[in-house]
Parts: sequence; structure tokens; C-alpha cells
Amino acid sequence: MNGIQLSRLPLSGRIFCTLFLLGIGCGALAAFAQASTAVGMSPAAVQASLAPDLPMTGMQHGEAGGEKEIDLGQISSEAKMTIRTPLLIQTSHTHLFGQTLIAGLAGLIFLFTSVRERTKAAIVALPFLGTFLDIGGMWATRFVSPSLSMLVIAGGTLFALGYVLIAALSIRDLWFRKETA
Amino acid sequence: MTIRVVLLFCALVGPALAHVTPPIVLASDRDAITTLLPGARRHFVREVRLTDEERQSVQNESGWRPEEDFYRFYIGRDEQLHDLGAVAFLTQYTIHGPVRIAVGLAPDGKIKGALVVELSEETYPWVKTAIDAGLLRSFAGRDAHAPFPRAAGGSSMSGFYSDIIAALVRRAALVYEAGVLKRPP
Repeated sequence: MNGIQLSRLPLSGRIFCTLFLLGIGCGALAAFAQASTAVGMSPAAVQASLAPDLPMTGMQHGEAGGEKEIDLGQISSEAKMTIRTPLLIQTSHTHLFGQTLIAGLAGLIFLFTSVRERTKAAIVALPFLGTFLDIGGMWATRFVSPSLSMLVIAGGTLFALGYVLIAALSIRDLWFRKETA
Repeated sequence: MTIRVVLLFCALVGPALAHVTPPIVLASDRDAITTLLPGARRHFVREVRLTDEERQSVQNESGWRPEEDFYRFYIGRDEQLHDLGAVAFLTQYTIHGPVRIAVGLAPDGKIKGALVVELSEETYPWVKTAIDAGLLRSFAGRDAHAPFPRAAGGSSMSGFYSDIIAALVRRAALVYEAGVLKRPP
């Protein structure tokens, strides 16, 4: 792009780009481990953490109270976090800033690869779309329908796919592609 | 040129990373219920929706107004269905992340015990200091109307979170009193 190619960067530039992409990859793996232990990686687990808390007793709207015998097995034995609206706001603001900056900086490196323009446009958009789907899905799960928890999983997958493609193609150009005029 | 690029990079990424504080879950809900209701053979869920008058009475007492649509208590009973106590979970969202606790209440509304079940990585050292200083043990035997002590020692942040935990424990006792004890059976 504009005459700049990753394959023509000086050694310092190539090391910088490579280490940045590797660092983000390690961060993404840690984030995956964090999400899978604190919440879970299935739509049902996301739903359990995000969906509004409904009465277990079947108490209807306007009723003052209700009681029901339960088996303790109905209560989660796993140490899972619950995400209510204040935490959702907190999570959204940190992740929208963080993931957008990561997508932006990784995408900036990727813009200077030799990939065809249309393919490049599609791949560079993936982490951004994944972020919007991920965070938007959390809000949709809480306020529209619990069944939309699958959007959170889809968003995370899209972000990961975009990162892998960006990192792999960038590193290919940085270290394995012959310089072209 | 290189220095400018590195500085720009740090300026952009630094603030974003500085605010991410992952949650720490210390105990599952089931573990908290079994710990705070020892001896219970049967378990029940009691859910109460407070009236405006009940919400107002809690606010008059504590300055805090219960805003949740309903509050849930896990009740423990023996084989003869005698009440052994109840457990409530309450959360406070702070700028450093959530603090969620489980409060064990005796049938007369007195506090049997409390556990911190969820907090954030950032608040963990402050809360741990308060717990190590005996904060959670200090609630046993108190009711919602007794003055709550602060944990001795520790940093000002530890004292801040001790106050938050104490307020949550008191809120649980107040909601139990308003929504369960003061209501006709």
C-alpha cells in the first residue's frame, strides 16, 4: 500500500511487527482461558451469566412472594461469574476500547501485506465485526432475548479468525516473502 | 521516527490494558449455601417482591433503597421442616469491579456468617486483607440494627471495601426482616 510493503521493512520494523502480533496472540489465548473458566464457551454458559435473573418459584409479575423446594443440584456447583447491567457497562467500555485498538493496530500492519485488495478489506474487517458482535451480543442476551447468547460466541470466533488470518499473512510477508519492486 | 511510533503505540494501548481487571470467583453458589446452612436436610427458595412501604422502611433504616425486582433467599430446614436459616446473595458494583457476597441469616434474622464469593483481581488484595483481619467473623450474632465494626488495620482501600461488605451484610439482614420476618406467615 502506497509503496510500503511488509517484506521491505528493515529488520527493526519486522521484529516490532512480529513481536506485537505474537504478544496479541498470547493475550488472546489468555483471554480465551479467562472467558472459558469465568463464564464458559457455550451459548448456554453465556446465557447463564448474562440473561436476566428470573424467579425460580414461578412468582408472577405483581405477586409479593413465593416459595418452592429445590434440590441443591439445581444450584450451580461451578464458580461462575454473573454479569449484571453495571458490570456489563464496565466490561463493554474496557473491551470496546481494548479490542478496537488491538484490531486497529493489527489491521494497520496487515494493510501493508501483498494480499489482494478485496481479500484484504474482508480480513481486516473481521476483528472489528467480531468485537461489535461480541459486545453487542452481550447486550442483546440481557435485554432482547437469552437465545441471542450465540452471538457472543460467534463474535469471539470471528475476532479470533480475523486475528489468526492477519497474523499468519503478515508474518508470511514479513519473513518468508521475497521482496518485489 | 521509531521513537514516535513506539510512544504512539504505548499511548494507545496503555490506557486500554490498564483498566481490564478480570473477575475472581472464590466459591460457587452451592458451596456458599452448604457452608452457611450447615445441617440443613431440605432446601427451599423463597423469593420476595418488596412493596413500596417495605422498600421505604429499608431506606429509612440504612439510606439504601432496594431496587431489585425481587430478592431471593435460600432457606435451609431439617427433616421436620424447622427453619435453620437463610442465605442471600448481594452484589455491589464498584469502580474497581463487583463484590458479591453470601450472607447466612438465622431464623430470627441475626447474622450467622458471610462469605465473599466474587470480586475482581484488583480488589482481591484489599478484600483479602480485611478478611484476614477477621471482618467476616465479626458479623456473627449481629442483627441489622446493631452498629457494624470496621476491620482493624490495613490500607484505606481495605477499609473502604470492609465498609462495602458490611453494608451488603446489613442490607441482606434488612431485606430479610422486611420481606420475610415482618410479613404475616
